[in-house]
Amino acid sequence: MTETNKNPNLLEDALRKALRPEEAPEGFALKVLARAQQQNSAAQEAQRTSWLSMFSQPFVRWAALAAVSICLVIGGVHYRNLQRQRAEGEAAKQQLMLALRIAGSKLQLAKEKVNEINTSRPEPQPQNRSPRSRS
Amino acid sequence: MSTITRKLVPLILLLAFPAILRAQELKLPPGVEKLASKAKETVEVNMDGPMLHWASKFLSAEDPEERKAAKLVANLKGIYVRSYEFSDEGAYTAADVAAVRAQFRSPEWSRVVGVRSERDGDNVDIFFKLENEKMAGIVIISAEAKELTFVNIVGPLEVEQLADLGGEFGIPKLKTKPQSSKPMAKADKGEQK
Repeated sequence: MTETNKNPNLLEDALRKALRPEEAPEGFALKVLARAQQQNSAAQEAQRTSWLSMFSQPFVRWAALAAVSICLVIGGVHYRNLQRQRAEGEAAKQQLMLALRIAGSKLQLAKEKVNEINTSRPEPQPQNRSPRSRS
Repeated sequence: MSTITRKLVPLILLLAFPAILRAQELKLPPGVEKLASKAKETVEVNMDGPMLHWASKFLSAEDPEERKAAKLVANLKGIYVRSYEFSDEGAYTAADVAAVRAQFRSPEWSRVVGVRSERDGDNVDIFFKLENEKMAGIVIISAEAKELTFVNIVGPLEVEQLADLGGEFGIPKLKTKPQSSKPMAKADKGEQK
């Protein structure tokens, strides 16, 4: 039988001593925070270096450069095509408007001429019949 | 001629036939086409259906003039214009114009206006093409002293739209008398084929 078994008060004292609240040492919280930050930035750095490490190979570097150049060229050509299409469309619109203007003006000319003929022609005289002749 | 060629030729002709038909809507005699070299100013507009629809996409809906034009051309199949402006009179002959006019002496075409002005030498003919009692096209032949113009509009064209066409595009609408439709018929009477 041990000493504590013999005396329950001793066990209780030992437990109280072991579980008593203790003040954290000076600067403990700061140290924890600094450690956490350090670990975080280390993980980020590792991730960044792994992504960038892809470009350390010359083939990947050249492929990326080529891809960017192709994208720029395609974009440029597409933009130029759009500009050209717009210019052609505007020209076609102008042609259409011109054609409609000419058609409209010639219709007006025809109308004008018909009206001229109409106004220059003497109005037909209404026949004056006497009431006697009507009967 | 090989078998493939023999089979291909009718196929090509069959495919090209609608285009040939379309092109024959207004056939200008070679003499008229040559007038372009004599002309001071030449306007040549050839717009078939797809071209018309493409061009109409660029018409602004905000501009009232262009909005009306878009409405007008929505159902059209083609617009063909030849306009020659000369510096002197007598650059073309009456036979040149008569040859073009003769193309529209078919039952499907009706000459609705025919104006002959001896005073200033302006002659205008307007032909309507009717299909199922609906307007399917219009041809305007305007022969002025120093200007010769052929206009061919193919497609369904409402009379109201036609009237709009006459009054729009910066050209003021004429103040016509209420009985204006009658004299048009009268003016045509003498010239009717």
